[in-house]
Amino acid sequence: MKIKVIVVKLVAICACLIGMSACTTINIDQVRLKETAELSEGDAMVVLGRHQTAEIQTEGSLVSCIGGRLQRGTKNVKIIPEREFVDAFYPWFEARTAPLHPEKLRKVLDQPLIAKKIEELNIRYFVWVEGSTERTNSAGSMTCSIGPGGGGCFGFGTWEDTSDYETTIWDLETFDEVGRVSTEAVGTSYMPAFVIPIPLLAQVQGDACQGMGKQLVRFFSKQDQNSLKTISQ
Amino acid sequence: MMLGNEQFLIASKRLSLVAILFAILSGCANNVTVNAEIPAPLVEKLPLTGSMIYNDEFKNYVYLEAEKSRKSLKSLDLAAAQTTLFDQVFGSLMTLVSPEVTAKDLNIEPEILDFQYSAPVETNLKQYEVWIKYRLKLSNADNQKLADWTIKGYGKTPTGLLTSASRAFNSAANVALRDVGAQLSIRFARQRTIKQLLNGDSPEPISEPEEVADKVVEEVVNGTIPAEQLVEAAEETIEETITEEAIVEETADVTEVLPTVSEKVTNED
Repeated sequence: MKIKVIVVKLVAICACLIGMSACTTINIDQVRLKETAELSEGDAMVVLGRHQTAEIQTEGSLVSCIGGRLQRGTKNVKIIPEREFVDAFYPWFEARTAPLHPEKLRKVLDQPLIAKKIEELNIRYFVWVEGSTERTNSAGSMTCSIGPGGGGCFGFGTWEDTSDYETTIWDLETFDEVGRVSTEAVGTSYMPAFVIPIPLLAQVQGDACQGMGKQLVRFFSKQDQNSLKTISQ
Repeated sequence: MMLGNEQFLIASKRLSLVAILFAILSGCANNVTVNAEIPAPLVEKLPLTGSMIYNDEFKNYVYLEAEKSRKSLKSLDLAAAQTTLFDQVFGSLMTLVSPEVTAKDLNIEPEILDFQYSAPVETNLKQYEVWIKYRLKLSNADNQKLADWTIKGYGKTPTGLLTSASRAFNSAANVALRDVGAQLSIRFARQRTIKQLLNGDSPEPISEPEEVADKVVEEVVNGTIPAEQLVEAAEETIEETITEEAIVEETADVTEVLPTVSEKVTNED
């Protein structure tokens, strides 16, 4: 009988913990600088991270995650992976040599070898991602011990992660910036420990990627562009 | 439940393996050999022929950590990686020939001037960093020095949950080498000496700053040139160098020589 009560209590505690599981708040802003962002069948896009200084270190995992979201959300459009693109165009898109403005990109593409390769790959848009996920707050403590009779952890820890990213979209046909999508995601993770630590993690970077990916897909969708035209009329 | 002897042994072995794995993955002192992953640069090949000259020190370069308090890195072998880098980059920029060939425009001899690194445990940043500084001596087929070119590369790699320090250092060194390669590939054709060669001119060989200073001292002492021209001569020497840093270094050399020159001039008077 006692065991049953303990089990029920443990299940209740777990249910409570799962109920108050970590969550993330996301804010997404979109700026459209051109009415239309056309994407034709067979066009390709490249998603690249900014790494130009020691402070700016956009995570490769986020860049490939956004690329994956765009690939799933856009039909018949090829998304070229960052590593593949940077290696193919070495040394023009390295951390310190990548163009920071569309006008600089035009100068890079003035070189016949590079222009030819861009044309071969049918690249129409560049999506630049800049930002990072940082730990912005943490509190609590936890103690773990081990002995001949067993071991365990006791305590409670919590931390807050903040993702701040901005994507900039360049059109290679006009060498213009056509839009921006910025995302701020804040999430708090918890780790209560009563013998076993139970991590309740906020997937801040993952949620930021999901939000930004969805917004970028909308940015390129004809439906979104048409509704914008209707509003402006 | 009691474990039998055999089961106990298996459990102990597994625990030891896990412990060893954690030790490997943790930030213990490491001996790292850098594996270069440098793509071929997408650049136009210049109508130039040259040779790469690697001295023994360069070919066998291994950074050894002398500071005992620094535990993250014991040694870093850059020898093969940096040779691959220069072969790859200059092989794309011009036609490389064997050093024994005499009919060529250039000899390029790289030299590693400095190597530095930092680990997260030292900086409290979640990244491994590597800095490499090279000096490239450009000389003509007769081995007369045409120019010095200093290039610095920087690479960093973020820490990962299951990334070992060795892997992180290898990755950071690779980024630094790629950075060096990128600068070489983009800026090579913009160098004055290279421009002259591309225009069909023969660049004038340059002398080491000490040689220039000695010559100037001799000429001032002999009264061949007035002392006022001394500064101009020194400035010309400085102009021969390319990078800002080299200019600072050369200026220091000339500044050191100047008091000696003025002393000699005064004594002669």
